[in-house]
Amino acid sequence: MRTEAPRRYPTYAPKVPRTWWLRTAPFRRFAAREFTAVFAAAFSIILLLFLFALSRGQEAYEGFLRWLGLPAVVVLLAIILVALLYHAGTWFRLSAHILGRREASRGAVIATLVAIWIAVSALAAWVYVAL
Amino acid sequence: MAGSAVITEHSLGDILEESDAREVRRSRGPRRPPLLLQLLRPEPMFWQLFSAGGFVAALLLPITVAVLLIEAASAPSEALSYERITRLADHLLAKLYLLALISLPLFHWAHRFRYTVHHQFGVHGLKGLVAVLCYGTAIAGGALTVLVLLGI
Amino acid sequence: MSGKSMALRVGRYRPERASEPYVDEYEVPASDDTVVLDALNYIKDRIDGSLAYRWSCRMGVCGSCGMMVNGVPRLTCSTFLREFGSGPVVVEPLRYFPVIRDLVVDMSDFLEKLRTVKPWIIRKDDRPVEEGEFLQTPDEVDRYKQFSMCINCMLCFSACPVYGQDPDFLGPAVIALAHRYNLDSRDQGHAERHEVLELNNGIWDCTFVGECTVVCPKDVDPAAAIQRSKVSTATQTLRSVVWPFGGRE
Repeated sequence: MRTEAPRRYPTYAPKVPRTWWLRTAPFRRFAAREFTAVFAAAFSIILLLFLFALSRGQEAYEGFLRWLGLPAVVVLLAIILVALLYHAGTWFRLSAHILGRREASRGAVIATLVAIWIAVSALAAWVYVAL
Repeated sequence: MAGSAVITEHSLGDILEESDAREVRRSRGPRRPPLLLQLLRPEPMFWQLFSAGGFVAALLLPITVAVLLIEAASAPSEALSYERITRLADHLLAKLYLLALISLPLFHWAHRFRYTVHHQFGVHGLKGLVAVLCYGTAIAGGALTVLVLLGI
Repeated sequence: MSGKSMALRVGRYRPERASEPYVDEYEVPASDDTVVLDALNYIKDRIDGSLAYRWSCRMGVCGSCGMMVNGVPRLTCSTFLREFGSGPVVVEPLRYFPVIRDLVVDMSDFLEKLRTVKPWIIRKDDRPVEEGEFLQTPDEVDRYKQFSMCINCMLCFSACPVYGQDPDFLGPAVIALAHRYNLDSRDQGHAERHEVLELNNGIWDCTFVGECTVVCPKDVDPAAAIQRSKVSTATQTLRSVVWPFGGRE
Protein backbone atom coordinates (compact mmCIF):
# COMPACT_ATOMS: atom_id res chain seq x y z
CA MET A 1 0.00 0.00 0.00
CA ARG A 2 1.10 3.56 -0.59
CA THR A 3 1.83 5.96 2.22
CA GLU A 4 0.74 9.54 1.78
CA ALA A 5 1.18 12.46 4.15
CA PRO A 6 -1.97 14.33 5.13
CA ARG A 7 -2.29 17.50 3.05
CA ARG A 8 -4.50 20.56 3.24
CA TYR A 9 -5.23 20.40 -0.47
CA PRO A 10 -5.74 17.32 -2.62
CA THR A 11 -2.80 15.92 -4.54
CA TYR A 12 -3.08 14.48 -8.01
CA ALA A 13 -1.34 11.48 -9.49
CA PRO A 14 -1.80 10.52 -13.15
CA LYS A 15 -2.37 6.82 -13.71
CA VAL A 16 0.00 4.63 -15.66
CA PRO A 17 -1.53 4.21 -19.15
CA ARG A 18 -2.42 0.64 -20.03
CA THR A 19 -0.28 0.90 -23.17
CA TRP A 20 2.84 2.06 -21.32
CA TRP A 21 4.79 -0.86 -22.76
CA LEU A 22 4.14 0.26 -26.34
CA ARG A 23 5.37 3.81 -25.88
CA THR A 24 9.17 3.60 -25.88
CA ALA A 25 11.57 1.26 -27.67
CA PRO A 26 13.10 -0.17 -24.48
CA PHE A 27 9.62 -0.93 -23.13
CA ARG A 28 8.59 -2.59 -26.40
CA ARG A 29 11.69 -4.77 -26.33
CA PHE A 30 10.91 -5.63 -22.73
CA ALA A 31 7.34 -6.69 -23.61
CA ALA A 32 8.57 -8.78 -26.54
CA ARG A 33 11.10 -10.48 -24.30
CA GLU A 34 8.48 -11.31 -21.69
CA PHE A 35 6.15 -12.66 -24.35
CA THR A 36 8.65 -15.26 -25.55
CA ALA A 37 7.66 -17.28 -22.48
CA VAL A 38 4.36 -18.02 -24.25
CA PHE A 39 6.28 -19.70 -27.08
CA ALA A 40 8.29 -21.75 -24.61
CA ALA A 41 5.06 -22.96 -23.00
CA ALA A 42 3.59 -23.69 -26.43
CA PHE A 43 6.52 -25.91 -27.25
CA SER A 44 6.24 -27.65 -23.89
CA ILE A 45 2.69 -28.55 -24.87
CA ILE A 46 3.83 -29.80 -28.27
CA LEU A 47 6.45 -31.98 -26.54
CA LEU A 48 3.81 -33.30 -24.17
CA LEU A 49 1.60 -34.19 -27.13
CA PHE A 50 4.61 -35.87 -28.75
CA LEU A 51 5.13 -38.05 -25.69
CA PHE A 52 1.41 -38.73 -25.42
CA ALA A 53 1.35 -39.95 -29.01
CA LEU A 54 4.40 -42.08 -28.28
CA SER A 55 2.64 -43.68 -25.32
CA ARG A 56 -0.34 -44.61 -27.45
CA GLY A 57 1.61 -46.75 -29.87
CA GLN A 58 3.27 -46.71 -33.26
CA GLU A 59 0.25 -45.63 -35.34
CA ALA A 60 -0.59 -42.70 -33.08
CA TYR A 61 3.07 -41.69 -32.96
CA GLU A 62 3.54 -41.75 -36.73
CA GLY A 63 0.30 -39.82 -37.12
CA PHE A 64 1.71 -37.16 -34.82
CA LEU A 65 4.90 -36.98 -36.86
CA ARG A 66 2.79 -36.44 -39.97
CA TRP A 67 0.94 -33.65 -38.17
CA LEU A 68 4.28 -32.09 -37.30
CA GLY A 69 5.11 -32.13 -41.01
CA LEU A 70 2.08 -30.04 -42.02
CA PRO A 71 3.16 -26.68 -43.50
CA ALA A 72 1.25 -24.68 -40.87
CA VAL A 73 2.91 -26.61 -38.07
CA VAL A 74 6.34 -26.25 -39.64
CA VAL A 75 5.79 -22.48 -39.77
CA LEU A 76 4.66 -22.53 -36.14
CA LEU A 77 7.80 -24.42 -35.14
CA ALA A 78 9.94 -21.94 -37.04
CA ILE A 79 8.26 -19.04 -35.22
CA ILE A 80 8.78 -20.81 -31.90
CA LEU A 81 12.45 -21.31 -32.76
CA VAL A 82 12.97 -17.62 -33.52
CA ALA A 83 11.16 -16.63 -30.32
CA LEU A 84 13.25 -19.02 -28.24
CA LEU A 85 16.49 -17.77 -29.77
CA TYR A 86 15.41 -14.23 -28.81
CA HIS A 87 14.65 -15.55 -25.33
CA ALA A 88 18.09 -17.17 -25.09
CA GLY A 89 19.86 -14.01 -26.22
CA THR A 90 18.01 -11.77 -23.77
CA TRP A 91 18.33 -14.38 -21.00
CA PHE A 92 22.10 -14.49 -21.37
CA ARG A 93 22.31 -10.72 -21.36
CA LEU A 94 20.17 -10.50 -18.22
CA SER A 95 22.21 -13.23 -16.51
CA ALA A 96 25.42 -11.44 -17.36
CA HIS A 97 24.02 -8.24 -15.87
CA ILE A 98 23.39 -10.06 -12.60
CA LEU A 99 26.54 -12.18 -12.50
CA GLY A 100 29.03 -9.64 -13.78
CA ARG A 101 30.03 -6.42 -12.09
CA ARG A 102 31.22 -4.33 -14.99
CA GLU A 103 31.31 -4.42 -18.77
CA ALA A 104 34.39 -6.64 -18.99
CA SER A 105 33.18 -9.41 -16.69
CA ARG A 106 29.70 -9.22 -18.22
CA GLY A 107 31.16 -9.85 -21.65
CA ALA A 108 33.01 -12.85 -20.26
CA VAL A 109 29.81 -14.21 -18.72
CA ILE A 110 27.92 -13.95 -22.02
CA ALA A 111 30.78 -15.62 -23.87
CA THR A 112 30.78 -18.46 -21.34
CA LEU A 113 27.02 -18.90 -21.56
CA VAL A 114 27.13 -18.96 -25.35
CA ALA A 115 29.90 -21.56 -25.23
CA ILE A 116 27.83 -23.67 -22.83
CA TRP A 117 24.85 -23.24 -25.12
CA ILE A 118 26.80 -24.51 -28.12
CA ALA A 119 28.21 -27.47 -26.22
CA VAL A 120 24.85 -28.45 -24.71
CA SER A 121 23.11 -28.07 -28.06
CA ALA A 122 25.68 -30.26 -29.78
CA LEU A 123 25.35 -32.95 -27.12
CA ALA A 124 21.54 -32.82 -27.19
CA ALA A 125 21.48 -32.95 -30.99
CA TRP A 126 23.69 -36.00 -30.92
CA VAL A 127 21.46 -37.73 -28.36
CA TYR A 128 18.31 -36.84 -30.27
CA VAL A 129 19.58 -38.00 -33.64
CA ALA A 130 22.59 -40.28 -33.40
CA LEU A 131 22.63 -42.08 -30.05
CA MET B 1 30.07 15.10 34.03
CA ALA B 2 28.31 17.28 36.61
CA GLY B 3 24.59 17.85 36.86
CA SER B 4 21.70 16.07 38.42
CA ALA B 5 19.49 15.89 35.33
CA VAL B 6 18.13 12.48 34.44
CA ILE B 7 19.40 11.52 31.06
CA THR B 8 16.97 9.28 29.19
CA GLU B 9 18.56 7.13 26.56
CA HIS B 10 16.78 7.42 23.21
CA SER B 11 17.82 5.32 20.31
CA LEU B 12 17.84 6.88 16.89
CA GLY B 13 15.13 4.45 15.95
CA ASP B 14 12.86 5.73 18.76
CA ILE B 15 13.27 9.33 17.68
CA LEU B 16 12.55 8.54 14.06
CA GLU B 17 9.51 6.46 14.99
CA GLU B 18 8.13 9.33 17.04
CA SER B 19 8.58 11.98 14.39
CA ASP B 20 7.13 9.75 11.70
CA ALA B 21 4.07 9.01 13.78
CA ARG B 22 3.34 12.69 14.17
CA GLU B 23 3.74 13.73 10.57
CA VAL B 24 2.60 10.87 8.47
CA ARG B 25 -0.70 9.08 8.42
CA ARG B 26 0.63 5.85 9.79
CA SER B 27 0.80 3.12 7.20
CA ARG B 28 0.41 -0.37 8.52
CA GLY B 29 3.51 -1.43 6.68
CA PRO B 30 3.44 -3.73 3.69
CA ARG B 31 0.10 -5.51 3.35
CA ARG B 32 0.48 -8.88 5.01
CA PRO B 33 -0.49 -11.81 2.83
CA PRO B 34 -3.01 -14.38 4.06
CA LEU B 35 -1.76 -16.75 6.74
CA LEU B 36 -1.50 -19.69 4.38
CA LEU B 37 0.92 -17.79 2.17
CA GLN B 38 2.90 -16.63 5.17
CA LEU B 39 3.44 -20.24 6.16
CA LEU B 40 4.19 -21.56 2.69
CA ARG B 41 6.35 -18.61 1.57
CA PRO B 42 6.05 -19.53 -2.08
CA GLU B 43 7.31 -16.37 -3.79
CA PRO B 44 11.03 -17.22 -3.64
CA MET B 45 10.29 -20.74 -4.86
CA PHE B 46 8.24 -19.50 -7.82
CA TRP B 47 11.09 -17.22 -8.79
CA GLN B 48 13.61 -20.08 -8.54
CA LEU B 49 11.41 -22.27 -10.78
CA PHE B 50 11.09 -19.36 -13.21
CA SER B 51 14.87 -19.01 -13.23
CA ALA B 52 15.49 -22.72 -13.78
CA GLY B 53 12.87 -22.79 -16.50
CA GLY B 54 14.48 -19.81 -18.16
CA PHE B 55 17.80 -21.62 -18.37
CA VAL B 56 16.22 -24.80 -19.72
CA ALA B 57 14.29 -22.76 -22.27
CA ALA B 58 17.44 -20.93 -23.30
CA LEU B 59 19.91 -23.81 -23.35
CA LEU B 60 17.89 -26.86 -24.35
CA LEU B 61 14.71 -25.82 -26.11
CA PRO B 62 16.17 -24.17 -29.21
CA ILE B 63 18.08 -27.28 -30.31
CA THR B 64 15.08 -29.45 -29.50
CA VAL B 65 12.83 -27.27 -31.64
CA ALA B 66 15.43 -27.21 -34.40
CA VAL B 67 15.77 -30.99 -34.48
CA LEU B 68 12.00 -31.52 -34.51
CA LEU B 69 11.60 -28.85 -37.16
CA ILE B 70 14.21 -30.36 -39.45
CA GLU B 71 12.92 -33.88 -38.98
CA ALA B 72 9.32 -32.82 -39.51
CA ALA B 73 10.06 -30.78 -42.60
CA SER B 74 12.22 -33.36 -44.31
CA ALA B 75 11.66 -36.95 -45.39
CA PRO B 76 11.10 -39.39 -42.53
CA SER B 77 14.38 -40.71 -41.19
CA GLU B 78 15.53 -43.42 -38.83
CA ALA B 79 16.30 -40.84 -36.10
CA LEU B 80 12.70 -40.28 -35.00
CA SER B 81 11.42 -43.79 -35.69
CA TYR B 82 9.03 -45.29 -33.19
CA GLU B 83 11.41 -48.08 -32.24
CA ARG B 84 14.35 -45.80 -31.62
CA ILE B 85 12.48 -43.16 -29.65
CA THR B 86 10.72 -45.76 -27.50
CA ARG B 87 14.08 -47.36 -26.79
CA LEU B 88 15.65 -44.00 -25.84
CA ALA B 89 12.71 -42.96 -23.71
CA ASP B 90 12.81 -46.19 -21.79
CA HIS B 91 15.60 -45.08 -19.47
CA LEU B 92 14.78 -43.33 -16.18
CA LEU B 93 17.34 -40.65 -16.96
CA ALA B 94 15.62 -39.90 -20.25
CA LYS B 95 12.26 -39.65 -18.50
CA LEU B 96 13.63 -37.25 -15.89
CA TYR B 97 15.20 -35.17 -18.65
CA LEU B 98 11.91 -35.03 -20.54
CA LEU B 99 10.06 -34.10 -17.35
CA ALA B 100 12.44 -31.18 -16.78
CA LEU B 101 12.36 -30.20 -20.44
CA ILE B 102 8.57 -29.91 -20.41
CA SER B 103 7.66 -28.73 -16.92
CA LEU B 104 10.39 -26.18 -16.18
CA PRO B 105 9.59 -23.96 -19.19
CA LEU B 106 5.94 -24.19 -18.13
CA PHE B 107 6.84 -22.77 -14.72
CA HIS B 108 8.95 -20.14 -16.46
CA TRP B 109 5.91 -19.18 -18.54
CA ALA B 110 3.59 -19.26 -15.50
CA HIS B 111 5.67 -16.77 -13.50
CA ARG B 112 6.34 -14.44 -16.39
CA PHE B 113 2.78 -14.54 -17.67
CA ARG B 114 1.39 -13.87 -14.21
CA TYR B 115 3.23 -10.54 -14.16
CA THR B 116 2.40 -9.88 -17.80
CA VAL B 117 -1.29 -10.10 -16.89
CA HIS B 118 -0.85 -7.61 -14.06
CA HIS B 119 1.64 -5.18 -15.60
CA GLN B 120 1.05 -5.30 -19.36
CA PHE B 121 -2.61 -6.31 -19.54
CA GLY B 122 -3.44 -3.99 -16.65
CA VAL B 123 -5.29 -6.48 -14.44
CA HIS B 124 -4.56 -5.02 -11.04
CA GLY B 125 -6.77 -7.09 -8.79
CA LEU B 126 -7.41 -10.83 -8.72
CA LYS B 127 -3.84 -11.46 -7.65
CA GLY B 128 -4.68 -14.79 -6.03
CA LEU B 129 -6.77 -15.98 -8.96
CA VAL B 130 -4.17 -15.10 -11.60
CA ALA B 131 -1.42 -16.80 -9.61
CA VAL B 132 -3.48 -19.96 -9.09
CA LEU B 133 -4.42 -20.12 -12.79
CA CYS B 134 -0.84 -19.66 -13.96
CA TYR B 135 0.99 -21.94 -11.54
CA GLY B 136 -1.93 -24.35 -11.58
CA THR B 137 -1.55 -24.74 -15.33
CA ALA B 138 2.15 -25.43 -14.92
CA ILE B 139 1.52 -27.96 -12.16
CA ALA B 140 -1.15 -29.65 -14.27
CA GLY B 141 1.25 -29.79 -17.21
CA GLY B 142 3.89 -31.36 -15.00
CA ALA B 143 1.45 -33.89 -13.59
CA LEU B 144 0.23 -34.83 -17.07
CA THR B 145 3.85 -35.27 -18.17
CA VAL B 146 4.50 -37.65 -15.28
CA LEU B 147 1.41 -39.66 -16.20
CA VAL B 148 2.36 -39.86 -19.86
CA LEU B 149 5.95 -40.80 -19.06
CA LEU B 150 4.77 -43.58 -16.78
CA GLY B 151 2.79 -44.93 -19.69
CA ILE B 152 5.73 -45.08 -22.10
CA MET C 1 25.27 29.89 -28.46
CA SER C 2 25.11 33.16 -26.43
CA GLY C 3 22.08 35.33 -26.71
CA LYS C 4 19.93 32.30 -27.33
CA SER C 5 16.80 31.51 -25.46
CA MET C 6 14.73 28.43 -24.99
CA ALA C 7 11.09 27.74 -24.23
CA LEU C 8 10.30 25.78 -21.08
CA ARG C 9 6.91 24.17 -20.65
CA VAL C 10 6.49 23.66 -16.94
CA GLY C 11 3.84 21.57 -15.24
CA ARG C 12 1.90 23.67 -12.75
CA TYR C 13 -0.55 22.64 -10.05
CA ARG C 14 -2.01 25.12 -7.61
CA PRO C 15 -4.84 23.33 -5.85
CA GLU C 16 -5.93 26.37 -3.85
CA ARG C 17 -6.86 28.00 -7.17
CA ALA C 18 -7.78 25.17 -9.52
CA SER C 19 -8.32 21.48 -9.13
CA GLU C 20 -6.66 20.57 -12.44
CA PRO C 21 -2.95 20.76 -13.28
CA TYR C 22 -1.97 22.98 -16.23
CA VAL C 23 1.12 24.04 -18.17
CA ASP C 24 2.87 27.41 -18.17
CA GLU C 25 5.32 28.29 -20.90
CA TYR C 26 8.32 30.53 -20.23
CA GLU C 27 11.14 31.86 -22.37
CA VAL C 28 14.53 31.62 -20.62
CA PRO C 29 18.03 32.65 -21.75
CA ALA C 30 20.10 29.61 -22.65
CA SER C 31 23.84 29.26 -23.02
CA ASP C 32 26.04 26.22 -23.36
CA ASP C 33 26.28 25.99 -19.59
CA THR C 34 22.64 26.46 -18.66
CA VAL C 35 21.04 23.55 -16.90
CA VAL C 36 17.31 23.03 -16.41
CA LEU C 37 17.65 24.02 -12.75
CA ASP C 38 19.24 27.32 -13.80
CA ALA C 39 16.25 27.89 -16.06
CA LEU C 40 13.82 27.18 -13.20
CA ASN C 41 15.73 29.54 -10.91
CA TYR C 42 15.62 32.21 -13.62
CA ILE C 43 11.87 31.76 -13.91
CA LYS C 44 11.41 31.99 -10.15
CA ASP C 45 13.70 35.02 -9.80
CA ARG C 46 12.63 37.05 -12.80
CA ILE C 47 9.37 35.84 -14.29
CA ASP C 48 7.10 33.91 -11.94
CA GLY C 49 7.90 33.75 -8.24
CA SER C 50 5.02 31.40 -7.56
CA LEU C 51 6.75 28.42 -9.12
CA ALA C 52 7.44 25.74 -6.48
CA TYR C 53 10.20 23.14 -6.82
CA ARG C 54 12.91 21.45 -4.76
CA TRP C 55 16.67 21.83 -5.19
CA SER C 56 19.73 22.09 -3.01
CA CYS C 57 23.32 21.29 -3.88
CA ARG C 58 22.96 21.96 -7.64
CA MET C 59 25.85 19.58 -8.28
CA GLY C 60 24.26 16.14 -8.46
CA VAL C 61 24.89 14.80 -4.97
CA CYS C 62 21.86 15.67 -2.86
CA GLY C 63 19.12 14.11 -4.94
CA SER C 64 16.62 16.95 -4.37
CA CYS C 65 16.03 18.24 -7.89
CA GLY C 66 14.66 15.15 -9.62
CA MET C 67 11.94 15.96 -12.19
CA MET C 68 10.65 14.66 -15.53
CA VAL C 69 12.47 16.43 -18.37
CA ASN C 70 10.90 15.66 -21.74
CA GLY C 71 9.36 12.55 -20.23
CA VAL C 72 12.56 11.17 -18.72
CA PRO C 73 13.40 11.32 -14.99
CA ARG C 74 16.49 13.53 -14.65
CA LEU C 75 18.37 15.56 -12.07
CA THR C 76 17.64 19.05 -13.31
CA CYS C 77 20.95 20.38 -11.97
CA SER C 78 22.78 17.97 -14.24
CA THR C 79 20.64 18.29 -17.36
CA PHE C 80 21.93 20.82 -19.87
CA LEU C 81 19.51 22.73 -22.07
CA ARG C 82 21.93 22.34 -24.98
CA GLU C 83 20.91 18.64 -25.08
CA PHE C 84 17.54 19.65 -26.47
CA GLY C 85 18.52 21.61 -29.55
CA SER C 86 16.07 24.41 -30.08
CA GLY C 87 13.60 23.09 -27.52
CA PRO C 88 11.01 23.37 -26.11
CA VAL C 89 11.82 21.55 -22.90
CA VAL C 90 8.96 20.05 -20.94
CA VAL C 91 9.50 19.93 -17.17
CA GLU C 92 7.05 17.97 -15.07
CA PRO C 93 6.96 16.62 -11.52
CA LEU C 94 8.56 13.24 -10.83
CA ARG C 95 6.23 10.55 -12.16
CA TYR C 96 4.30 8.09 -9.97
CA PHE C 97 4.37 10.28 -6.87
CA PRO C 98 1.38 12.40 -5.77
CA VAL C 99 1.92 16.02 -6.73
CA ILE C 100 1.55 18.50 -3.89
CA ARG C 101 2.18 21.66 -5.88
CA ASP C 102 3.80 22.48 -9.22
CA LEU C 103 6.95 20.35 -9.35
CA VAL C 104 6.90 19.21 -5.72
CA VAL C 105 5.89 15.61 -5.03
CA ASP C 106 4.97 13.71 -1.88
CA MET C 107 7.90 11.48 -0.97
CA SER C 108 6.22 9.75 1.98
CA ASP C 109 5.72 6.42 0.24
CA PHE C 110 9.39 6.19 -0.65
CA LEU C 111 10.48 7.17 2.86
CA GLU C 112 8.08 4.76 4.54
CA LYS C 113 9.13 1.84 2.34
CA LEU C 114 12.77 2.71 2.92
CA ARG C 115 12.17 2.56 6.66
CA THR C 116 10.69 -0.93 6.46
CA VAL C 117 13.93 -2.41 5.09
CA LYS C 118 15.98 -0.94 7.99
CA PRO C 119 18.71 0.75 5.96
CA TRP C 120 21.28 0.94 8.75
CA ILE C 121 23.93 -1.32 10.26
CA ILE C 122 22.17 -3.81 12.53
CA ARG C 123 24.29 -5.51 15.14
CA LYS C 124 23.28 -8.44 17.30
CA ASP C 125 26.26 -7.86 19.58
CA ASP C 126 27.10 -4.24 20.16
CA ARG C 127 30.81 -3.66 20.17
CA PRO C 128 31.96 -1.34 22.96
CA VAL C 129 33.76 1.75 21.78
CA GLU C 130 37.00 0.64 23.48
CA GLU C 131 37.30 -2.24 21.05
CA GLY C 132 37.83 0.26 18.30
CA GLU C 133 36.32 0.70 14.88
CA PHE C 134 35.12 -2.01 12.52
CA LEU C 135 37.80 -2.93 10.01
CA GLN C 136 37.03 -3.79 6.43
CA THR C 137 39.28 -4.99 3.66
CA PRO C 138 39.03 -3.25 0.29
CA ASP C 139 37.27 -6.35 -1.05
CA GLU C 140 34.66 -6.19 1.70
CA VAL C 141 34.02 -2.55 0.90
CA ASP C 142 33.88 -3.32 -2.78
CA ARG C 143 31.02 -5.76 -2.26
CA TYR C 144 28.55 -3.06 -1.32
CA LYS C 145 30.21 0.22 -2.30
CA GLN C 146 28.36 0.67 -5.57
CA PHE C 147 24.95 0.29 -3.90
CA SER C 148 25.89 2.75 -1.19
CA MET C 149 26.16 5.57 -3.72
CA CYS C 150 22.38 6.03 -3.79
CA ILE C 151 21.39 9.65 -3.17
CA ASN C 152 17.68 8.86 -2.73
CA CYS C 153 16.75 11.00 -5.72
CA MET C 154 13.86 8.67 -6.64
CA LEU C 155 14.50 8.86 -10.39
CA CYS C 156 14.49 5.05 -10.45
CA PHE C 157 10.99 5.00 -8.98
CA SER C 158 9.78 7.27 -11.76
CA ALA C 159 11.36 5.01 -14.33
CA CYS C 160 9.81 1.83 -12.94
CA PRO C 161 6.52 0.81 -14.59
CA VAL C 162 5.99 -1.76 -11.82
CA TYR C 163 6.17 0.87 -9.07
CA GLY C 164 3.81 2.99 -11.10
CA GLN C 165 1.18 0.27 -11.08
CA ASP C 166 1.72 -1.75 -7.91
CA PRO C 167 1.29 -0.01 -4.56
CA ASP C 168 3.01 -2.82 -2.65
CA PHE C 169 6.22 -2.92 -4.65
CA LEU C 170 9.12 -1.64 -2.57
CA GLY C 171 10.84 0.09 -5.47
CA PRO C 172 14.38 0.01 -6.90
CA ALA C 173 16.31 2.28 -4.52
CA VAL C 174 14.72 0.73 -1.45
CA ILE C 175 15.65 -2.81 -2.47
CA ALA C 176 19.11 -1.70 -3.56
CA LEU C 177 19.70 -0.13 -0.14
CA ALA C 178 18.42 -3.22 1.67
CA HIS C 179 20.86 -5.23 -0.40
CA ARG C 180 23.65 -2.76 0.36
CA TYR C 181 23.29 -3.42 4.07
CA ASN C 182 22.91 -7.17 3.60
CA LEU C 183 26.24 -7.14 1.79
CA ASP C 184 28.03 -5.07 4.43
CA SER C 185 30.35 -7.24 6.50
CA ARG C 186 29.63 -5.14 9.58
CA ASP C 187 25.92 -5.86 9.35
CA GLN C 188 24.17 -8.70 11.19
CA GLY C 189 20.62 -7.78 10.23
CA HIS C 190 19.91 -10.06 7.26
CA ALA C 191 17.27 -11.96 9.22
CA GLU C 192 15.51 -8.76 10.27
CA ARG C 193 15.21 -7.59 6.69
CA HIS C 194 14.36 -11.00 5.33
CA GLU C 195 10.65 -10.97 6.03
CA VAL C 196 9.98 -7.71 4.22
CA LEU C 197 12.02 -8.87 1.24
CA GLU C 198 10.41 -12.30 1.15
CA LEU C 199 6.78 -11.22 1.29
CA ASN C 200 4.48 -11.08 -1.68
CA ASN C 201 5.19 -8.22 -4.04
CA GLY C 202 8.00 -6.75 -1.96
CA ILE C 203 10.74 -7.50 -4.45
CA TRP C 204 9.17 -10.27 -6.53
CA ASP C 205 7.06 -7.93 -8.64
CA CYS C 206 10.22 -6.73 -10.29
CA THR C 207 10.37 -8.11 -13.81
CA PHE C 208 13.81 -6.70 -14.58
CA VAL C 209 12.68 -4.03 -17.00
CA GLY C 210 15.99 -2.37 -16.24
CA GLU C 211 14.99 1.26 -16.73
CA CYS C 212 15.88 2.05 -13.13
CA THR C 213 19.53 1.34 -13.86
CA VAL C 214 19.39 3.39 -17.05
CA VAL C 215 18.19 6.56 -15.30
CA CYS C 216 20.25 6.29 -12.12
CA PRO C 217 22.59 9.32 -12.00
CA LYS C 218 25.06 7.63 -9.62
CA ASP C 219 25.55 4.27 -11.38
CA VAL C 220 24.06 2.38 -8.49
CA ASP C 221 22.59 -0.24 -10.84
CA PRO C 222 19.51 -0.99 -8.74
CA ALA C 223 18.35 -3.63 -11.25
CA ALA C 224 21.40 -5.74 -10.48
CA ALA C 225 20.89 -5.21 -6.76
CA ILE C 226 17.27 -6.35 -6.98
CA GLN C 227 18.02 -9.52 -8.94
CA ARG C 228 20.89 -10.40 -6.60
CA SER C 229 18.58 -9.71 -3.69
CA LYS C 230 16.13 -12.20 -5.18
CA VAL C 231 18.90 -14.77 -5.38
CA SER C 232 20.02 -14.26 -1.79
CA THR C 233 16.49 -14.05 -0.38
CA ALA C 234 15.47 -17.21 -2.20
CA THR C 235 18.61 -18.99 -1.04
CA GLN C 236 17.91 -17.88 2.52
CA THR C 237 14.33 -19.17 2.35
CA LEU C 238 15.44 -22.45 0.82
CA ARG C 239 18.07 -22.88 3.52
CA SER C 240 15.61 -22.18 6.30
CA VAL C 241 13.09 -24.61 4.82
CA VAL C 242 15.64 -27.39 4.32
CA TRP C 243 17.43 -26.68 7.61
CA PRO C 244 15.10 -24.75 9.91
CA PHE C 245 17.58 -24.64 12.76
CA GLY C 246 19.95 -21.78 13.36
CA GLY C 247 19.72 -18.26 12.02
CA ARG C 248 21.90 -16.50 9.56
CA GLU C 249 24.12 -13.61 10.52
